[in-house]
Amino acid sequence: MRPEILELQESMERQGYVASREIATSVYLAKQMGRPLLVEGDAGVGKTEIARVMAAIWDTELIRLQCYEGLDVNTALYEWDYQRQLLQLKIGESRTTDSEQLEELIFSRKYVLERPLLRAITADVAPVLLIDEIDRADDGFEAFLLEVLSDFQITIPELGTIKATHRPYVFLTSNRTREIGDALRRRCLYLFLEHPDPDKEIRIIKSRVPEASERLAAEIAFFMKELRGRSLARVPGAAESIDWANAMVHLHRDHLDRETVEQTLGCVVKDVHDMRELGPEVIEELLGRVRQELSA
Amino acid sequence: MKGGDIVAHLVLFARELRRLGVAVGMKEEIDGVEALTLIDLLDREEVEIGLRSAFRIRPDDRAQFDALFAEWWVGKGVPRKLIETDKPAQPSSTARESSGSRESRDPVLQDAGTEELRSGEGNPGYSDRVLLRRKPFDEYDGDDLKAMIVLMRRLKLRLATRRSRRLVATRGRGVVDLRRSLRRATETGGDLVRLAWRKRPVEEPRLVLLCDTSGSMDSYTRFLLSFVLSLTRVTRKAEAFAFNTELTRLTELLSGGDVLRILGRLAERVPDWSGGTRIGGCLADFVGRFQRTLVDTRTVVIILSDGLDCGEPEELARAMRSIQRAARRVIWLNPLMGDSRYRPLARGMAAALPYVDHFETAHNLESLERIIPLLAA
Repeated sequence: MRPEILELQESMERQGYVASREIATSVYLAKQMGRPLLVEGDAGVGKTEIARVMAAIWDTELIRLQCYEGLDVNTALYEWDYQRQLLQLKIGESRTTDSEQLEELIFSRKYVLERPLLRAITADVAPVLLIDEIDRADDGFEAFLLEVLSDFQITIPELGTIKATHRPYVFLTSNRTREIGDALRRRCLYLFLEHPDPDKEIRIIKSRVPEASERLAAEIAFFMKELRGRSLARVPGAAESIDWANAMVHLHRDHLDRETVEQTLGCVVKDVHDMRELGPEVIEELLGRVRQELSA
Repeated sequence: MKGGDIVAHLVLFARELRRLGVAVGMKEEIDGVEALTLIDLLDREEVEIGLRSAFRIRPDDRAQFDALFAEWWVGKGVPRKLIETDKPAQPSSTARESSGSRESRDPVLQDAGTEELRSGEGNPGYSDRVLLRRKPFDEYDGDDLKAMIVLMRRLKLRLATRRSRRLVATRGRGVVDLRRSLRRATETGGDLVRLAWRKRPVEEPRLVLLCDTSGSMDSYTRFLLSFVLSLTRVTRKAEAFAFNTELTRLTELLSGGDVLRILGRLAERVPDWSGGTRIGGCLADFVGRFQRTLVDTRTVVIILSDGLDCGEPEELARAMRSIQRAARRVIWLNPLMGDSRYRPLARGMAAALPYVDHFETAHNLESLERIIPLLAA
C-alpha cells in the first residue's frame, strides 16, 4: 500500500470519517490525476461527507453546487447584477448615449455575481468543488458541466473567457436516480459506495457519537443490517444510524428494546409504507436476530 | 512484471471485460494505465481498487469485474480463458456504442416513409389505414407491421407536450429575460423599451415498456413487440423489456434493421419465448435492477400483459407499488380487454390493479392510439 494513501486514510479518520481503502485510494488517484471523482451510492452512505472532509484536510474552501431539475447556467455559473446595472445605465446615460460605450459600462466584471462554478474557478487557492446530486439536474446541464470540467474555463459572452487560476478538486455525487451520461462519466474517476457492514458502521457511530455506548452502537449497526435486508422503499444509510444513535443518547438509552425502537423509528425509517410494515412483532423479530448475532 | 508487460496485460484484461459485456473503452484503458503508475503494484487490493475506479465499473458490472480480476491478477501467467475464446465481442457492448444515431439510418422508417407519401397522393391508403387500425393483432402480417410504424410515427408530435423546467429565449410570453432586456436597453438610452422573454421548452417524455411474451399472450406478442419497437423509435428516451419467466432488456436489440428481422432476433434472444409467465418475479427483478436508473417522475411505465401470473400475487403487488411510486404514470395494456367477456379476475391482474393508473385495452391499433395522450410525460 502506498504510504500516501495510508496517510490519507488516517487523516480522514482523524476528521471523523471512517474511510475504507477503496475510498482513500480513489480520492488519492483523483487528486493525483487531476480528475473529478464521481461518487455514486444510496442516500446516506456518506458521499457528500467525503468532499467536506477533504476540504478540511486540504485546508481549503468547500464550494457546493446543489443540483436540481431546472438548474440553469445563471444559478450555477454567474448572473448579472441587474439592479446595479440599471442604476448604472441611468447614471451613464447622462454622460453618453453611445450604446456601445453604455454596454461596456454595464457589462463589466464589476456587475457579475459569482455563482458556485465561477467562484470555484476564480478562487485564490484551489478549493474543493462539490457538485451534489448531479443525477437531479437535466441532461442539458450535464453537457454544460462537461465543458466546464474539461477546460476549467468559463466564457461570459460580454466579457470573454475566464480561465481557472487553480484547478479545483471536484467531487460529483449521484444517487443513481438516473444514469449519468457516458461523456461526463468518462471525465471522472469512479467510486461506488455501499452501505457499511456492521463492523464499519459501529466505528462510524462511535466516531460521530462518542457518547454512545459500545453496546448501543453494536445494536444499532446490526439492526440497520437487518433493516437493509428487508426490501424497504427507502433504505436507511449510515447518516440515519448516526441520527438514531444521537437520539438514543439524548433519551438516555443505552440499548435497544421494542418500546424504544417504536418511539425512535422515525429517525431511521422515513416512509409511511415502510413504517406500517415494521409493526411490533416485526421489530421484536429483528431485535431477536440482532441479539443472536451479537452473542455469536 | 516489467512496465511494458503490465500495460499489455491491462489491455488484454480490458478486452476480456468487453467480451463479457462490460463497457470498457480506450479512455478507460488509458486512465487505468495512469492509475497503475500512481499506486503500489505489489498490493493486489490497491490495483483492484485503482482499476475499478479508473474503469468506472458500475455496481451492476462489479461482480463480473471482481471475478475476472481474481482470475487475471494473481500472477498465474496467461489465463486459460484468453486462449480458448476467440469469439466475436458480445453485441451488447457494440450496440451500446453505436446506438447514437439510430433514427437517421433506420431503413424501415425511411422506406415506410416514402410508401406513405405515395399512397397519400391518390389517397386510396386512407381506408386501408382505417381497416388496419381495427384489425385484430393476431391477424397481422409483415406489411401491416410496417404500416403500423408509419402510423406510430405520426403520433410522435402528439407525444411531446410536457414543458421543461429550464427557461429558453422566446419571442414574447413567458417571463422577462433581464439580461437580454438590459442589453437591448443600451440601444435605447437605458430605457427598457423592448423586453426580452424566456419560457419553458417542450420536452420529450420518457417511456419504459414492459412486454409480456408468454404463451398466454402468444398471438399478440409479435404485434405488441412491434408496438414497443415503434414507440422506442418515436422518442429517444424509451427503454423496452420483455418478460415471461425472466426479464430481458430489449433496448439494444431493437436498434437498427428491418422489423421482421428484429422480431426474429428477439425470438432468438428472449429466453423461453412463448412459455409461462412469472409477472411478479420479473417485475420485482426490474425494480431491483433497473427502476432506480430508468424510472423517475417524468417516466411513464407501460406494461403489456394479460395479467395471467403463475407466481405469488403478493410479489406482483409489491413490485407494482414500487413502480407506481417512482413513475409519473403506470399504464397497463391488456389485450384480453378487447374480448367483452373478459373480467380482470386473473389473480395477478387483481393484485396489480390497485397500483395501475390507467387500465386499457390493447387488441388493435385503434385501441393503442387511444392511449397516446396518456404517454405525454
